[in-house]
Amino acid sequence: MWRVGVDVGGTFTDLFAWEEKTGKRVTAKVLTTKGDRSEGVIQAIEAAQLPFGDISHLIHGTTAATNALLERSYPDPALITTDGFRDTIEIGRQHRKHLYDPYQTKPKPIIRRRYRYTVPERMNGDGNVERPLNREVAADVADKIADAGIKSIAIAFINAYVNDAHEQEMQDIVRARIPDAHIVLSGETRPVFREHGRFSTTAIRAALMPVMVEFFDRLRERLKENGFAGALMILKSSGGVAGVDLAKDHPEELLESGPAGGVAYAAYLSRLTDYPNFIHTDMGGTSFDASIVEDGKGLITRDYELEWEIPVIVPMLDIHSIGAGGGSIGWVDEGGSLRVGPRSAGSEPGPACYGSGGTEATITDANLLLGRLEPSLGGKLEMDRNAAETAINALAQKIGLDPLETAEGMIRISCENMAQAVKMVLVARGRDPRDFVLASFGGAGAMHTAFVAEAMNIPKMIVPAYAGVASAFGATAMDLRQDVEAFMYASLAHVDLDEINGTFDRLEKRAMDLLAQDGVAAADVTISRSAQMRYVGQTYEVESPMPEGRFTADTLPKLAANFDEQHRLEHGVSSSDFEPAIVSLSVTATGATVKPPLFEKAEGSSAEKVKGTRQVYFAGEWAETEIFDGEALSSGDKITGPAIVEYNDACAVLPPTTHASVDDMQNLVIELGG
Amino acid sequence: MTKRHKGDLDPVTFEVLRSLFEYSCERMTEVLRRSSFSPILADMLDFSNAVYDADLQLLSQAANCPVHLAAMKFSAEAIINKFGFDTLKEGDVYLVNDPYQGGTHIPDMTFVLPIFFEGGLLGFAVSRGHWMDLGGGAAGGQSYGTHIAAEGLRLPPTKLYTNYEPNDDIVDIIMNNTRTPHYVKGDMQAHFGALLAAEGELQRAAKRYGVNVLRVAMKELQGYTERIIRKSIERIPNGEYEAEDYADSDGFRQKIKIKLKLIVKDTDIVVDFEGSDPQCQGAINSPFANTASAVFYSLQFFLSPDAPQNQGMFNPISIKLPEDCWLNAKWPAPTIGCTTLTSSKITSALWQALAQAIPERVTGSTYSECNWFVASVRDRFGKSDVFSELPAGGWGGTPYSDGMSVTCDPLGNCMNMPAETAELLFPIAYEAFEFRTDSAGSGLHRGGVGATFKVRFKGEGELSMETSRTLEGSPGVNTPFRSAVQRQTKIHTDGKAEVVGGLTPNGDWKNPLLAGLRFAPGETFMFESTGGGGWGNPYERPVQDVLDDVLDDFVSVEAARDEYGVVIDPDTLAVDEIATGERRAAGIPVPENAAE
Repeated sequence: MWRVGVDVGGTFTDLFAWEEKTGKRVTAKVLTTKGDRSEGVIQAIEAAQLPFGDISHLIHGTTAATNALLERSYPDPALITTDGFRDTIEIGRQHRKHLYDPYQTKPKPIIRRRYRYTVPERMNGDGNVERPLNREVAADVADKIADAGIKSIAIAFINAYVNDAHEQEMQDIVRARIPDAHIVLSGETRPVFREHGRFSTTAIRAALMPVMVEFFDRLRERLKENGFAGALMILKSSGGVAGVDLAKDHPEELLESGPAGGVAYAAYLSRLTDYPNFIHTDMGGTSFDASIVEDGKGLITRDYELEWEIPVIVPMLDIHSIGAGGGSIGWVDEGGSLRVGPRSAGSEPGPACYGSGGTEATITDANLLLGRLEPSLGGKLEMDRNAAETAINALAQKIGLDPLETAEGMIRISCENMAQAVKMVLVARGRDPRDFVLASFGGAGAMHTAFVAEAMNIPKMIVPAYAGVASAFGATAMDLRQDVEAFMYASLAHVDLDEINGTFDRLEKRAMDLLAQDGVAAADVTISRSAQMRYVGQTYEVESPMPEGRFTADTLPKLAANFDEQHRLEHGVSSSDFEPAIVSLSVTATGATVKPPLFEKAEGSSAEKVKGTRQVYFAGEWAETEIFDGEALSSGDKITGPAIVEYNDACAVLPPTTHASVDDMQNLVIELGG
Repeated sequence: MTKRHKGDLDPVTFEVLRSLFEYSCERMTEVLRRSSFSPILADMLDFSNAVYDADLQLLSQAANCPVHLAAMKFSAEAIINKFGFDTLKEGDVYLVNDPYQGGTHIPDMTFVLPIFFEGGLLGFAVSRGHWMDLGGGAAGGQSYGTHIAAEGLRLPPTKLYTNYEPNDDIVDIIMNNTRTPHYVKGDMQAHFGALLAAEGELQRAAKRYGVNVLRVAMKELQGYTERIIRKSIERIPNGEYEAEDYADSDGFRQKIKIKLKLIVKDTDIVVDFEGSDPQCQGAINSPFANTASAVFYSLQFFLSPDAPQNQGMFNPISIKLPEDCWLNAKWPAPTIGCTTLTSSKITSALWQALAQAIPERVTGSTYSECNWFVASVRDRFGKSDVFSELPAGGWGGTPYSDGMSVTCDPLGNCMNMPAETAELLFPIAYEAFEFRTDSAGSGLHRGGVGATFKVRFKGEGELSMETSRTLEGSPGVNTPFRSAVQRQTKIHTDGKAEVVGGLTPNGDWKNPLLAGLRFAPGETFMFESTGGGGWGNPYERPVQDVLDDVLDDFVSVEAARDEYGVVIDPDTLAVDEIATGERRAAGIPVPENAAE
């Protein structure tokens, strides 16, 4: 039976599959179908020539949830909230994105104001009722929503994270009038404080539910028609997977479903290679993503924003994105300085060399001009070198450099920008670049990785096997995962041990129940506990690990020490002036899945390893450069720069200052310095 | 074509260094945000960071608060004036907050670190943050007296760290003079960490590219910004454009006037404040550093929002101030309200002047306030604390779209506090923060709307607040209507509302500088902020857009009729096409309070 990962991206749908009995692997890449995206999944499986009946697990990464939200293409949902808080999801934190842009606007709210209703009620922060729910007004609001024909309703009340009794009461009133509605409560969606994030996440779940139910039902139906009888799993933003039925009820957990696969791959690598810490980078046509993988795990954030001031507070892989890719355009600004990006030629018209009408110089044009890109991309495309040259010449004239200097300069500028983005990711999480290996994914990643590494003094890089279908590969290497959380605010000096023990018991039971729905036996579950903690008086939290077992008075000093250490790591400081406090407790439960097996020793294809040589421009001069066939390389092969390694879906550029070797998994490990 | 780049600096290295300087400041910001302890820094982000070259010319700035933009330079200069370049040493950090020696208002603490490389001075890192409280007659120094001494601890340029070690005597003095001593060490360490981040980046750059390349790049970067700014000034027609605005009150007198003339000549701008009121008694006087900062950041919006912020943006612009002027404050005038109340009026006056020159590009005024308040609160056990909030209003309508609703004024970019956070930390409960119907200025593109904010005191408290726009709302561009007025109200425990600042229901007006206004348990403070001014003729706003605004309660049925000429049935919410056609054909009425 086959385990199949399918990642539906903006341009391509990627597939990676392996057979459990033989360890055999296949990949496929098809164009993403624009209308019905489930069709692309079917086509990819057909392209890989996999019989549907032989698939035991289909693990799917999808941007469907994110796209529906970004395009606001879902039936109007309604919001019911506490009097005075009708606009919390639209006001946000009254912050603007661009400091000096007088014309900026804010994103449209997830739920329109006319469908945001308020009711008199008030829960206090300590969980006591300040004002009971006004049932008359509540019934009136429910009638209005029923009259408007709305079927998806978010109920989000102030302080419901500590007591959601009023939300439940409101739900009953709505349910009585609209029996078939999707009703979503903030206290159930994410029972954590700070209303903006909780309300926004609740609104997003309400908006997505009808869309995702329809999407997954159709996908399941189409697969069934083709004879698929295995388990359908969905990639989550946390870097785990869940069965499709659970995913349907928690669509807010799918917003990084696509990119999560790549990070999962990096996490898998970090468990299998000698390198525990990776900076995962992915460079495609328009954007560059970076995230941190440490000790086999992707770092998690709870500060994700879908768009400006539209937070989603579920735990997600901390992935940062900037506008830098193969399509990034070089231009001269008003002050006469050479700039690259963030504007991109995208796929239409694309770089000048694609010959589809693009006239501006892009990074891809620069790479072509410098001989780093092979003009036929392995026979997939015929690139127009003259068009690239014309575009770069025009730019070169504007800044008074020669065209080759300009091309090389564009790449240098773009790589410096990427290096800074990576450094910001590290600085924001208090990490030191020297502790990391740079892992390079995506079609354009490996062409630039050596320059990015050089700009930030990282000596070692890795270009993983299957880098071109990384998210699909990663999908097959992910565990089943559930993250649950409960609010519990107490300083360590006043903490109630019974409450901690009771809360963890409850959370662990809930997480295991969820995993059981995906068929994981209790004995196979791995539990890890953590707490969101802060110093008393602070208004932000740091995630701190929590020990297993029963908590006693003796456990507390250890919690304080863990937190001090974690705070020092993330923020560079810790404090003895402030007492640590717990804000919420979390449990992550994972059920291990079967992963693609390791090669004893990777054997490349039987093709010639060296395809030939060509002139490639590095550091101001042309150099005779060997061109390797990446698919033909085997474990133990060594390469000294300058060299180019061409894969099916990617290409690695090794400047003269680097050397590389192929490891047992067929990854290319590159090091700086001769 | 002129040769743009000198010496051994090629265009590619220049671009690399340009973005590196920016990155250095962003990194300072990240470190400060992440390691500070007080909510006003960590959560509300009321701080800015900058790097200066060895001649104390601004090189790059990550100004979370634009009002810090030009003012920080004066702080660094005051330090050099006192200590001299010759005494600077690696690892020495200086501190100043004195409004009369390079500061603006007392809570803004400025930390300066000279950066050395191989024994030579490379530049300076400067970090400024608004500290919650540095003493004075009321929390946050907002006692609104007549003397700077009432506003808290005034530190002259002071050497705080020697060779990277703090002078604990000075730290103790600060801790003795604040209502929030528990934040002092943590926040100081956070500023220090930010300075070190910039030091590391610049030193690494010097090592990688060489000191000379770095120095040339620094100067070239300033020239680069200056070219951009001059080009954009050239696009404004030459002329002299006059405008006025005013602060409602300094606590003693109504309407303190700003009068200015914006003189555009080729690639230079002069802003002349001749005719503005003399120094006033109350706490809104603005030292030169603050006035200059307000001028620069206000113009930046329409000159070049994206240009790197450095000395080059200051060079084409000069400022003239009368000697005796509330915008050129001299000791011992109190200044606590200058960064918020006064700056935002300078912005509005400047934008009104610009609107005469380039109406097709300028937006309506924003709510033109900060609405910053500070309250000391005590819980039922008598434990006291200080909290602050700044309920924002709307931005002006633009030539392209409606203005942003409830967004921090141009002077800052500070975040509000979530209700649930506030309730956990302080003995208070937020009861509302939502859009206020009819608060925006009407226009073809209306202003963004303001908000209604309510906080209930659970224990006793005293609240201090400076604000304005309580007599008239904000003006728009080519629209006769202003936005709504702002108002402060106390809601008593029996539900009775009492206007405590601004216009009362019977038309009286109360001074909106609230100094230590007392609240008993169960009483609620309500603040109504205003929206932004509109842009263009509201009678030309598409009927569907007006209807949408009514359906979303941004605009009432009455205002739709009176200010947009769109007649909507209040029961069915359907547009009466005929009545609308007639009303719009009759032309727009001129309201009594119309702008000129």
